[in-house]
Amino acid sequence: MMIRTALRLAGILVTSVTLSACSGLGVKPWERDLHAREDMQPNGMDMAIDDHIYFSKEASSGGRSFAGGGCGCN
Amino acid sequence: MQLKKFASLGGALAAATCGLLGSQPSVASAAGEEAGWQSDTSLLYYGESDSRVTDVSLRTALRRAWDDGSKLSGSLTLDSLTGASPTGAVPTDSVQTFTRPSGKGQYTIGSNEQPLDDTFKDTRIALTANWDQPLGDAMRYGVGLTFSTEYDYRHMGANGRFEHDFNQRNTTLQVGMAYARDSIDPVGGAPIGLHPMKGQGDSSSKLGNDSKSVIDLLIGVTQVVSRRSLLDLSYTYSRAGGYLNDPYKLLTVVDNTGRPVGVDPYLYESRPDARAKHGLFSEWRYAFDEDSLALSYRYMFDDWGIKSHTLEGRYRWNFDERTYLEPHLRYYMQSAADFYRTYLESGATLPVNASSDYRLADLDAWTAGIKFAHKTSLGEFSARLEYYRQTANPQPGGVGLLNTYDLVPPLTAIIGQIGYRLNF
Repeated sequence: MMIRTALRLAGILVTSVTLSACSGLGVKPWERDLHAREDMQPNGMDMAIDDHIYFSKEASSGGRSFAGGGCGCN
Repeated sequence: MQLKKFASLGGALAAATCGLLGSQPSVASAAGEEAGWQSDTSLLYYGESDSRVTDVSLRTALRRAWDDGSKLSGSLTLDSLTGASPTGAVPTDSVQTFTRPSGKGQYTIGSNEQPLDDTFKDTRIALTANWDQPLGDAMRYGVGLTFSTEYDYRHMGANGRFEHDFNQRNTTLQVGMAYARDSIDPVGGAPIGLHPMKGQGDSSSKLGNDSKSVIDLLIGVTQVVSRRSLLDLSYTYSRAGGYLNDPYKLLTVVDNTGRPVGVDPYLYESRPDARAKHGLFSEWRYAFDEDSLALSYRYMFDDWGIKSHTLEGRYRWNFDERTYLEPHLRYYMQSAADFYRTYLESGATLPVNASSDYRLADLDAWTAGIKFAHKTSLGEFSARLEYYRQTANPQPGGVGLLNTYDLVPPLTAIIGQIGYRLNF
């Protein structure tokens, strides 16, 4: 139960900090070099494979994107 | 290292130049989207312990991007599934006989063994196609189609996305919607929920095929926090309606000694015919001078009573411009669905819905893995190895003999993947 409560609190904290701080954040166009790096982009292939595996083994799916699915998945 | 510095400088110059020209990459469509073709192919092996499910899957994705930011992409996946899957029935101290889903045969499970249906075999073909198009400087839309077919299941779906950049492109708002219509044509027919599994040739507990539909909604924000970090936040809503049962899952009705009772002790599972899921997802990505880190947290809950937490982290350790190692850790936990039952007790009132599918049980899962990739002039080669372990808890309180078994044994799987990506 402790872990569950802690996880929930962590989620609420991340969400609230982000929502309250959005407007003043950001960089100038010439400061985007690190964000433009290939390793800062999500890997679509691995994500799609993982989503499909977890969709068929757990009750939750998606989150990052649509919930996925499209299989009988036994 | 020197190369890397030049590459970073090049990136900075490119970004600055783009800015001057008024076409700097936005948060959501930054690098990795340079004009031209890209192909990405992976061969996946997923193997569960104890001769359970094995999946060998080939997935190839092709993308063509143009200078104006428009993009056409598609993927093809071929899955070959074999092995045995738990039926949901509980073990007992005598041999158990089950009718095959087709109704045309039987199989037996030895005493004290977990009932598994070893006829599990399927081939799945899945296709996706997407088109992404900029709408002026600060907006984009995308539309997509999805299709998959396997022996007893067919999926057709369509989706649309819209993105808008704000705050000097430091904030990107994304909204999306997807609709899917799936038809289910189980071997031997779709069972009627909580009706008994009958013997060979008796299909009185089964109907023909059935269908379900799913609507997904998504709203997300990507925020550049600093030169080094950004945050993704999204809320997803998913509503499914129709036939949501697993047509091959059973529940055992036991007496007060914990043994199967009556002539037809196995009932087909029954789930509600609607499900609404809510998901909150956040991911923080951070760029070090050389390496990068991605941490994510997802909270999901639905009206079946399932709540889940997922924590995931990836550290990309860039040895040099061409080689990296990426350790990956994931932790998942969920509470059981309200109607999850490991078994049913005779004499008690039959619930409206019940399923003993372990995926609806109270469970925890760990994944630990590592990926290695190396770029050459012929493209990027990668290899990934992961270990997945899931432990689930049966419903609280045991009955007689059932206390002596591990009713929901742990699931262990090895995931191996090799990949090849080429830009041309």
